[in-house]
Amino acid sequence: MSEEDALAQKLAALIASVEIDDSGARVISVDGDPAPITAILREVDDTVLERCLAFDCGDTTITVVAAGRRLRGIVNVTPQNDTEIIGQVISREEPDGVQAAFDLLQSLSADADKMTVRSLPPEPFGKGGERGISAKGLTELWGVTMDIIPKPPMDKFLSANAATFLSVLHVREGKVVSTSGDVKPLQQIWKSQVDDFRKAHAKMVRGEERAQFVCLESAFDDGTSAALALYENEIALVAYQGENFGKMQSSWQRIFN
Amino acid sequence: MVVDELDALRDKFEGCAALAFADLSTKMILVTDSGSNLRREALDALCAEAAFLLGANGTPALAEQPSDRASVTSPSQMRVFLRAELEPNDVLCCICNAKLDADAFVADAGACLDRISGSE
Repeated sequence: MSEEDALAQKLAALIASVEIDDSGARVISVDGDPAPITAILREVDDTVLERCLAFDCGDTTITVVAAGRRLRGIVNVTPQNDTEIIGQVISREEPDGVQAAFDLLQSLSADADKMTVRSLPPEPFGKGGERGISAKGLTELWGVTMDIIPKPPMDKFLSANAATFLSVLHVREGKVVSTSGDVKPLQQIWKSQVDDFRKAHAKMVRGEERAQFVCLESAFDDGTSAALALYENEIALVAYQGENFGKMQSSWQRIFN
Repeated sequence: MVVDELDALRDKFEGCAALAFADLSTKMILVTDSGSNLRREALDALCAEAAFLLGANGTPALAEQPSDRASVTSPSQMRVFLRAELEPNDVLCCICNAKLDADAFVADAGACLDRISGSE
């Protein structure tokens, strides 16, 4: 990674808002951004003093021990899991164990919609001399990168729901930055309706919110629905199937709340 | 009683803050749930937003045809507007917490509205 990239990554991390969920845990991955395994390694890389890190994804909790920016091992998993690597310190000298730890973390977290982390006091684990493997070393052994600049919220929302949307027209500062699907109807809306809609609606509600998601069910002649997502200087027009309403709402809430 | 239906819906969903039953032909809120303390101006604005988003004058707010259901979600709030199935001028305006289970709420709110509209 070049110095410019490293600097850009640090700056992006600094400006990224820290989201805390209802349980008080810090949200580190939403809708696969970043990939949960990447999020885990980043947390390990940020841990200098010995700590237990409890990663929650859905009903699963993975607790690891990290110290000195190294992963020492997986302490336990709930619901109970009998994988042999749990409770063992990982070591470069035992590549099968390193791979088993990766396979376990991936199998438990790869599909998580949301992952959170809590930093807990350390528990006795392994022997004093068993230091585990650095997060950076694990990126090489596991073929995972930590060098990911967080996506802006709108990009995150659009990529997280890409499979749900029938078509998308994404506009930033008045310029179309990406499209997918049949965008003709959306282009028509963008050209002839969006400005008037925003002005009329903002007047009605005494100003436009910084982040706003408007859904209109069955707004197209073919019965599909239309949505307008607004965030700062970005607009996304979307066509979607009505049955995906709740899924989109919870995704919006996770990313913009 | 309409207010009982609205109260029952509000009680069922913790994230539901206010409910108002409105008539789009007169653009007036007719009844609110008993716990609602929205001022008249706020109720008027809510009704105007419902009329606009649902295309009360036959003109869609966006896209090609007026909708039977519309929502506006901000980081702190979700407003949902539903049109009754049999009487298109009967609408339910809902102010909710953005963390509400949207699918469950709109299903129950739609059923509530149809009961209210059908019993008028």
